[in-house]
Amino acid sequence: MEVVQPRYPGTEARAGKFPGPSLIPALNAIQRRCGWLPRDELVTLSREVRRPLYEIEGLISFYPHFRTTEPKTVEVAVCHDLTCWLHGSDERIAEAKARYGDDVEVELVEVSCLGRCDIAPAAAVDERPLAFADADEAVEAARGGTHGDAHAKRGEEPRPNDPYAAGEERYRVLRRALAGDLGADAMVATLKESELRGMGGAGFPTGQKWEIVAAQEPTPKYTVCNADESEPGTFKDRQILAEQPHLVFEGMLLGMLVTGCEEGWVFIRHEYGPEEDVLRAEIEALRSEGLLGDDVLGSGRRLQVEIFTSPGGYILGEESALLECMEGHRGEPRNKPPFPGLYGLWGKPTLMNSVETFADVPIILERGAEWWKEQGVNGATGLKFFAVSGHVERPDVYCVRAGSTARDLIELAGGVTGGREVGAIQPGGASSNFLGPGQLDVPLDWKPLQEAGSMLGSGALIVMAEGTDLLAAGTNVLRFFRDESCGKCVPCRVGSAKAHAMLSELLGQGKGVEDVAGEIAQLEETLRKTSICGLGQVALGPVLSVIGMDRGGAAAREHPKDREDTET
Amino acid sequence: VAISTPAPTETRTVSLTIDGLQVTVPEGTTIWQAAKDAGIEIPVLCHDERYDPVGVCRLCVVDVGARVYAASCVRPCEDGMEVRTDTPELERNRAQLTELLLVDQPPTAEDPKETTTADNELHVLVRRYGLDQDASALPRGQGRGEDRSNPVIAVDHDACILCDRCVRACDDIQGNDVIGRSGKGYATLIAFDLNDPMGESSCVTCGECVAACPTGALTNKPINDVPIRPREELRQVESVCPYCGVGCALTFNVDDERGAIAYADGREQPGSQRRLCVKGRYGWDYTFSKQRLTTPLIRRESSYPKGPLSSDVRGDERRRRRKPGGLVDYDEVMPHFREATWEEALDLVASRLKAIHEESGPKAIAGFGSAKCTNEEAYLFQKLIRAGFGTNNVDHCTRLCHASSVAALFEGVGSGAVSTTYGDVVNADVAILAGTNTTANHPVASSFFKQARRRGTKLIVVDPRRERIADHADIYCAIKPGTDVAFYNGVMHEVIRLGLVDREFIADRTSNYDALAKLLEDYTPERTEQITGIDADTIRLVARLWGEAGAGVIYWGMGISQHTTGTDNARCLIAMCAITGHVGRPGTGLHPLRGQNNVQGASDAGLIPMFYPDYQPVDAESARNRFEAAWGRELDPERGLTVTEIVASALHGGVRGMYMMGENPFLSDPNINKVRKALSALDFLVVQDIFLTETAEFADVVLPATSALEKDGTYTNTDRRVQIGHKVLDPPGQARPDWQIVQDIANRVGLPMDYADPSEIFDELVSLMPNYTGLGYDNLGPSGKLYPNPDPEHSDGTVVLFDENFGTDDGLAHLVPAEWMPAKELPSDEYPFILNTGRLLEHWHTGSMTRRSFALDSIQPEAHVFMNPDDARAMGVADGDFVRVSSRRGTIELRARLSHRDTPGTCFIPFHFREAAANLLTIDEIDPFGKIPEFKFCAVKIERAGGTAAHEAQSAREGA
Repeated sequence: MEVVQPRYPGTEARAGKFPGPSLIPALNAIQRRCGWLPRDELVTLSREVRRPLYEIEGLISFYPHFRTTEPKTVEVAVCHDLTCWLHGSDERIAEAKARYGDDVEVELVEVSCLGRCDIAPAAAVDERPLAFADADEAVEAARGGTHGDAHAKRGEEPRPNDPYAAGEERYRVLRRALAGDLGADAMVATLKESELRGMGGAGFPTGQKWEIVAAQEPTPKYTVCNADESEPGTFKDRQILAEQPHLVFEGMLLGMLVTGCEEGWVFIRHEYGPEEDVLRAEIEALRSEGLLGDDVLGSGRRLQVEIFTSPGGYILGEESALLECMEGHRGEPRNKPPFPGLYGLWGKPTLMNSVETFADVPIILERGAEWWKEQGVNGATGLKFFAVSGHVERPDVYCVRAGSTARDLIELAGGVTGGREVGAIQPGGASSNFLGPGQLDVPLDWKPLQEAGSMLGSGALIVMAEGTDLLAAGTNVLRFFRDESCGKCVPCRVGSAKAHAMLSELLGQGKGVEDVAGEIAQLEETLRKTSICGLGQVALGPVLSVIGMDRGGAAAREHPKDREDTET
Repeated sequence: VAISTPAPTETRTVSLTIDGLQVTVPEGTTIWQAAKDAGIEIPVLCHDERYDPVGVCRLCVVDVGARVYAASCVRPCEDGMEVRTDTPELERNRAQLTELLLVDQPPTAEDPKETTTADNELHVLVRRYGLDQDASALPRGQGRGEDRSNPVIAVDHDACILCDRCVRACDDIQGNDVIGRSGKGYATLIAFDLNDPMGESSCVTCGECVAACPTGALTNKPINDVPIRPREELRQVESVCPYCGVGCALTFNVDDERGAIAYADGREQPGSQRRLCVKGRYGWDYTFSKQRLTTPLIRRESSYPKGPLSSDVRGDERRRRRKPGGLVDYDEVMPHFREATWEEALDLVASRLKAIHEESGPKAIAGFGSAKCTNEEAYLFQKLIRAGFGTNNVDHCTRLCHASSVAALFEGVGSGAVSTTYGDVVNADVAILAGTNTTANHPVASSFFKQARRRGTKLIVVDPRRERIADHADIYCAIKPGTDVAFYNGVMHEVIRLGLVDREFIADRTSNYDALAKLLEDYTPERTEQITGIDADTIRLVARLWGEAGAGVIYWGMGISQHTTGTDNARCLIAMCAITGHVGRPGTGLHPLRGQNNVQGASDAGLIPMFYPDYQPVDAESARNRFEAAWGRELDPERGLTVTEIVASALHGGVRGMYMMGENPFLSDPNINKVRKALSALDFLVVQDIFLTETAEFADVVLPATSALEKDGTYTNTDRRVQIGHKVLDPPGQARPDWQIVQDIANRVGLPMDYADPSEIFDELVSLMPNYTGLGYDNLGPSGKLYPNPDPEHSDGTVVLFDENFGTDDGLAHLVPAEWMPAKELPSDEYPFILNTGRLLEHWHTGSMTRRSFALDSIQPEAHVFMNPDDARAMGVADGDFVRVSSRRGTIELRARLSHRDTPGTCFIPFHFREAAANLLTIDEIDPFGKIPEFKFCAVKIERAGGTAAHEAQSAREGA
């Protein structure tokens, strides 16, 4: 007699997940009005929208953006993650605690990576990012109610992936596509031929992804641009957003045309306020040019793009956690399959690419796959953005030929600070395995890095000078993953905490790599093999790679993010 | 007879190997399920087949040849997959996961589950992998605390592994939506509401989370110090919940050393499916109360002339008890009785009733049976009154709940029983819940309604009070009190106007449609809006949903029946189903949700003045002849008096002698002041009960009876499911089963009875009740059977009635047009509020059982009047303040509880509390057909009682 609605195979229980609109906008509205989330307001909200209190609790206790206590006059957020740590954040935080610890007006909070590793150690005063060194001045101004304007940092010259000269009319490729001069099949074919791969870390072939989403039953399908890079050392997308919003939107709108989407969102981390302003201005420009709307340039196509500001948390960069967040749930990654291309936002086929991926699309479609492929060196194809940070003279975002080496980038960045030697690098963000000074000539590309025991990851090269305590650095990275674990699955939730506690104790006793217990290796295997998502799978990798280095090179093993079958 | 069976649909299959075994399964099957079906057990903690998978514990990971392992509980099988479930690598990682969970657990010797029921599923894995908490190199966490704020459920966060089973049990099974995850990462905890203490949250203590929890995180606390022990050490008795009409199957775990129940478990049964509510799971300890009656009692000579014995029941304002709460004061009442032997007491009962019968004739005798007793006892009781005393003056509390529904159903479809089950809601496209606070009064049935809604059934809730079920409604219609007829007429008007009636069904299966349609012409949406307060567009929307639904079903409660227009209300619901053809198919029909555990059975067995067993009319000669032949006595050809009529008759010396088996009309009947006079006026009253009730204060003889847990017998639930309740424990002292007492009295008044056990009585009643044909103790089985049931050996019984014919003489549904009439006592300047009465989740009827239950009394210890915060604010009343509520008939004082569920101008008082008895206020106007009182509507005024606690203030004045 039971009639069970068919579930999409592989999808999970709806426990804790409610049908109907997301409550996050309503919570944001309360917080804007009251400055925080008073209990009475939450109870009233629950009654009025007929949604359970526990759903609200699940959200407000999960997302760092939401406050359940009244805020003080000024909030100072200080980053303690790898790049800032390499720049002495521990000491600076201790000083700040001494200064502001008893200050009734100032709330000092340690936070995860703010994405400002180029000005490390970084801080934010009332959510306005700045160098830690400028924090005191900003705090004093904020006490008086004034805040400096935070502008996105933008370079002067167009980057090599930008087909538009300064002042030239943009969105040429999109106009051609809308006019019917560039067909969806042709675009997919070019992208496939170009060998463009997802730049968020997983490296799934972009053309294939677009093809899969395009092939799904029509309407509604959605497009999401993942602008939630939050891994320590990673800020290349931030710079692309600031400098090339037109390329991000053009690539995204082309993706929507190809796959048959009408609605798209840029999901951006809330720490990127200045960059979000740039995006909003660009959306206005798009509207005024008639490139967004119900019938774009008379093509009969409806294209709408909105910004979705993340309520916080690195885990939302994981594509299915991002979707859960957009649906109004706790940002806990889904068991996969199904993948977003088939079962994405609100269970509909969803095209999701990262900022850099979308930004590369216009030039590929304009100049062709061959041109793109020729840009690479050392057997790689195309161009690649890297955020270079750590112990280098000029930490910044660099767009280089794909296949360039770490040595090339370090040189571009002015060399190791103080003329020191390289102690180790992480070539692909905090989740990538450490490589030693002997591996600086490995081309920074998918396969060579994998063979070297690390990965291309999030396009973030973190340089650690000789003499850096690498086990402490690895443990710092582990702390980041522990703090950012969503807590959904056992290995990541408990394993990252236990491993961090063990390593901290060991470091506190002045011990080193040779004293690391064998349990850490078993924990690493368990996290890597049994965690639901990439966060848990990589959390202990860097630590283990440090141990491996000491024993003669990073443990060369398959890395979770290097396999192509992880995503569709 | 239609039993719904889904048409077999073609499913694609996939083939794969699991540990080298070739298996083929339907597409979408999970690896875990496919393995289990193939005889391969994969360890798991977060998964349970009752819930959709979440894949969070990761213990069920398997190797599918990919880079990482797959959680088999959620991963679907794929063609050509080669799955390994048992490699050393997998086991090594499972052991590591187990160790990660183990290190933060409470020490095994203190584990809340290992030290009680000893079935901690994590510890099974700990033993499998040979782990030792003390030997682990992993550091132990800081501890995450516990929450002991709920009286019967303990929360130990250290023992919690965040498997989310409780979350799914609370949401997906019970639909209570209380538990979720709070926090993030390692700091994540399960939390109630806004991370509130469980005991202060909106948790309804159904215990489903406890039943779901695999570890010691959520466990039962001992009740009355009876330790919770492993099931193997206890005796299991399969029985039926003694509270509401849902009739949930449960198993009592009995500690024979202590002569007590340790705890209860939900049991598999097609209806309740292992679910229980707070009353069923935690409310059984009333049976062990020290206040149980254990010997027969006879009123002392010095305590005549008769009248109430306690100051509360006297309504003595000057000696009002200083603290609210509590039950009949035994110290005050017991001295008026002396203990007697059974012989003496029974002889006295028989001789006095016989004497009255001889002096004043059969009509001077009346009996109230009980919907709490068994079918056998109901049958025997009415047989005694009818055959032993020659009168049909026998009734029970059905008069106070669904008498009007039954009247309308008999008239309309020829049967008072439900036409389909509560579980059939799953097959409905639209379900209307009319006037039913179902989450409080039929909690387990409501869980199926809520679940159906999540699976796509549209839920329309119609109720002036925004009850909890309204939070789950697709459309909630807050009609003005007493405007039900207008509302449904308006909806039907629109159904007809839109052409959404089922013409074929109307032509072939109904009569009198034209008269109905004629009357409905006046009920335009606009006019209906004026009367009901529901805007015309909503009425149109409801009409469209209902008319266009492939299958629609209506469940209703006392909000429909307990009105002077109760019968008309129910007539409208019948017409709603009949004109749209929403009856006789799966997911369609009419279901008055029955209140008492055996109100259906007691009515079936003839405990009503107009019907013999199985609704055979006492005024039909053929029926009378049949029963006269069966019982060997001449029977009264006239209908007897109903409950309310008996009370009225007693006031005027008509009824002089009464036998009360398990009823407590003093609190349950309207206008208590009138009931008090009537009970005082009786020449002889024998009360048979398990406690000394308010009614027993008026008794000449009190007979100690047994609770449902102390005897065998059958009960018929709201679905028509006849189930055997098995004896759990011996009765206390000299208390005896009700059926034996009735039999002894029958023998003393010249009606010989010689039943050895209840099954003999059951066989006799089945022989006289065509609808029960075929049923017997030997085939009811552990989960009972639905009636009618042509093949009880093999079938669960008939879910859907009326697939071809209705039960009326001509087989048609008789449509009866009903004009809307306002309630009898409308609000006025002096009495501006409309009072609604009803029940609370935790309490039952007059509270004689539930207020003696530790759990239920702890959660809801006192009476409240629920009123809208705006009204309260206007009067300067804060939550918890004492207020005085008065009607033209009486006054009570109780605390106010501010509640958004009550609309301005209305208030709600539960009727369980003797110290603030709602029925002092209610009006004894009755429905002309069902003779049911208007419990849901009378005019009252509310005033501040001064100070924070009126009773305390009052006692201070007394002292001065």
